[in-house]
Amino acid sequence: MKGYRKYFFNKLAWYLVTFVFAFILNFILPRLMPGDPVAAIVARFAQGMSNATGVQAIYQQYTELFGTNKPMLEQFFIYVKNVMRGDFGFSFSQYPRTVADVLKSSIWWTAALQFPAIIVGWIIGNTLGALAAYRKGGFDKVLMPVSIFVSSLPPFGMAVILLVIFGIGLKWFPTSGGYGFDLIPSFTWSFMWSVIVHYQLPFWSLVLIAVGGQAIGMRSMAIYELNADYVKYARFMGIKDRKIIGYVFRNAMLPQITGLALAIGTMVGGALVAEIIFSYPGLGSTIFTAVMGGDYPLISATTLIITVMVLAANFIIEILYGFIDPRIKAAQAD
Amino acid sequence: MKKLLSVLSLMIVATMVLTACGGAVTPAATQPPAVETEAPVATEAPATEASVDANALPRNETLYFNGQQWGPVVGWNPYSNSNNNALAIAQQDSARVIMFETPYLYNMLDGKQYPLLADGDYAWDEGMTEVTFKIKAAAKWSDGTPVTAEDVAYTWATAVKYDTPLAAANKDYVDTIEAKDAQTVVVKAVLGDDGKAKNPLLVNAYLSTNYVIQKAWTQTLEARSADATALLADPAEDVVYSGPYGKFFADDSKVVYVRNDEYWGQDASMWGKLPAPKYLAHTIFKDNAAGSVALAQGEVDVSQQFNSNIQVLWLNYGLPVSTYLPEAPYGIGASLPTAFYNLKSYGLDNVAVRKAIAMAVDYPTIIANAMTNQSATFDQVPRSLMNPTAGEQALYDHDAVKDLQWAGNDVAGAIALLEEAGVTDTDGDGWRELDGQKLTYIATCPNGWSDWQAAIEIVAAAGKKIGIDITTNYPEWSVYQTVVTASDADLPEGYDILMMWSDGAGPTQPWGRIRKLMSSEFVGMASNWNGNWGQYSNPAADELINAIPTMTDESELKAAYTELVKIYLTDVPSFTLMYRPQAFHAVNESVWTNFPHDGDGTNPPVPPLDMTDGWSIAGLYNLTLVNP
Repeated sequence: MKGYRKYFFNKLAWYLVTFVFAFILNFILPRLMPGDPVAAIVARFAQGMSNATGVQAIYQQYTELFGTNKPMLEQFFIYVKNVMRGDFGFSFSQYPRTVADVLKSSIWWTAALQFPAIIVGWIIGNTLGALAAYRKGGFDKVLMPVSIFVSSLPPFGMAVILLVIFGIGLKWFPTSGGYGFDLIPSFTWSFMWSVIVHYQLPFWSLVLIAVGGQAIGMRSMAIYELNADYVKYARFMGIKDRKIIGYVFRNAMLPQITGLALAIGTMVGGALVAEIIFSYPGLGSTIFTAVMGGDYPLISATTLIITVMVLAANFIIEILYGFIDPRIKAAQAD
Repeated sequence: MKKLLSVLSLMIVATMVLTACGGAVTPAATQPPAVETEAPVATEAPATEASVDANALPRNETLYFNGQQWGPVVGWNPYSNSNNNALAIAQQDSARVIMFETPYLYNMLDGKQYPLLADGDYAWDEGMTEVTFKIKAAAKWSDGTPVTAEDVAYTWATAVKYDTPLAAANKDYVDTIEAKDAQTVVVKAVLGDDGKAKNPLLVNAYLSTNYVIQKAWTQTLEARSADATALLADPAEDVVYSGPYGKFFADDSKVVYVRNDEYWGQDASMWGKLPAPKYLAHTIFKDNAAGSVALAQGEVDVSQQFNSNIQVLWLNYGLPVSTYLPEAPYGIGASLPTAFYNLKSYGLDNVAVRKAIAMAVDYPTIIANAMTNQSATFDQVPRSLMNPTAGEQALYDHDAVKDLQWAGNDVAGAIALLEEAGVTDTDGDGWRELDGQKLTYIATCPNGWSDWQAAIEIVAAAGKKIGIDITTNYPEWSVYQTVVTASDADLPEGYDILMMWSDGAGPTQPWGRIRKLMSSEFVGMASNWNGNWGQYSNPAADELINAIPTMTDESELKAAYTELVKIYLTDVPSFTLMYRPQAFHAVNESVWTNFPHDGDGTNPPVPPLDMTDGWSIAGLYNLTLVNP
């Protein structure tokens, strides 16, 4: 257990260092982008303004308000101080909404779409991949090309195909929105049903692509493991197939779990493509507009959330690895 | 055994694929009628079924929009410009008046201002120093109290006190607004050196551009706001309004406004009835493509977005979709998207080079590709500074400028012009030089603005045809706008020919547009959102632009405008690439009908501005149901 504790604290320290650097980069990088976000906001206000000096006055008012006229170092310390209090400030692009408010209203749509899609895609994909490696033959011959085909479709391609076939062609599913265009959110059966129906196309456009990629990855990992010496040795020993598959699956799964952790960590980044094609509510397009418009506070806040989630997911996985695979702990603790 | 296994595995894959779609498919596929009744996705779900659900918007009581609201609504504060509440708050030439109201409504079709909150026309005094108008006795706020002259005065006073965008935009022209009595408003203009209003045009425009906000509510707002910033940032959920619609619901997916059935406008002194739809709803689409699909599906009734090749919807698909005009250009052009020359770029200070490029451009292709023919051509409406509306076209002498106009594609003429000016290919590399230096330019517009990009590509192609090397570059909008609007310095490299917009239709037009295309007053501004981005300067033009607002004699006015057109077409500081409507206006008549169309018999004519802007709101009172 002593070795394990050392392993744990060692990891923790590294993650803290990573976090500090990531935090600084989260702040600096968006602000290094060319362009002036305040000018973009003023553009919105200035439409139809016939007075020349008026626009200038508004511009100054907002640089003052957002603090973009201060030196970057000073801005950074203000930012750190505010973040400590959980205050990410105003979103530039949706002013006077706060960043917290923007995130709060769309993060649930994103999480509810992404999390199940990632999990379902991962489970189906890995099961299929492992089966293909083990069964070989016809199953493998069909699954492999299908998986490669599906996983190499760009996400927007898959989304558009589903939209055209099931939305516009067959009219089985609505083409846009998170719920019926003629409904108001409420705890009623019709609303819930509408949400479920609207959920399907964006959901499956994500899952199908994930399944393909996971299956291919799992299949090659499993084939590699199936040819490993310990498998052959176990066979010679007359150990039951089921038991051997258990070992193989556990070993082949390690990199797949890392992939899963990363996918979950980055999921708040949103399913941009699915969101845009299906006009589905969520953070993806919010972040996209934030990046395009230089909405620093919103970019920093979302990238910070992504950073924290990726780090946390990886940390948890690494700690779990110690249990799943003692070799890793042993190697790291040395 | 092996064979059996492969058959089995095939089946498993098939099942997986089917579940992938099928998990979703089954419920809807087996009971499509249920989908229609429970979540009326179908276009014509009868109201009787929909109204069973109290949380649904009955289809035949709701008018659906697209293309106005992009991104979630942020607030309801009419003093602020940052609410992103496009359907409710837009103080512009044709002000959006579903929730807040202006004293007058501008009609872009006849160029007149019609009373809304105001009672009768406004009148200038003898000395041209102030405007007087009355407020209708019937006008009421949503809380039932009467709209008074004091409200108008207090709105302006508040704007000035807190230096809101409204004040910033108008205080150079509007001095004070006073309530003479409960109904009478006096707007005192800022006076020029001659003791008369400095710019009566902008004072007139104020009356149809800016909202009247309730004094009592404003005082509540002031009481809870620490300073000007807090006042402007207040989301104002409790705002009192005078218009026919108020807030019903808003989230990240949509915004819905509900009719105020006590609306004062049903008084005989105004509309005499309530607007037809009980709800106005706007789904928030993420791009034009999604909005176009919804229009075709009948989930949108009124579309204010660029629908590429809109005619396909009725010609090929037989959908009940239509535009204001049945044939191309489908709408009324109002604004003039324009390519500006950076007059400091090498060779672009030479008028022959500027004019040659402009003459060689293939405008018909721009109009066909970038606008899918939703713009009049320059053969139909020869270029000037005017938009294609009859009112503006009548303001200049067409014959006097005929020789200066060009319709494009005139490569031979452009080459002749260059040769004559001594801009020739002296070193034989195929590109022309001016005084030994090769003419090479970058034409630019924001990245992702696909119609503009298509236009800029054609400008670049025109350069190649006449031996001037023009390449294209598309910076992101956030960069582009920062560079282009910094008129206090020369434009940097890469911005030789740049595309921006111009004003549309409004009570100050075409003067306002001409000013923004040609006036040198914007050169030197650090944040220039007005115009003249190529930094053109011509004292003769400036003088005319300054004189026009106070001109009253029609022939004098026409002479001045003609002279400005002459200067513009001679100097070519910029050139119009296409005509663009003030607002796109396409309608789907699956549920509602009797929308504004050209020649629909309305008098005054209802303009194609989506029935939300200026006089076009009259259209909401004419709508009827297809299946009542």
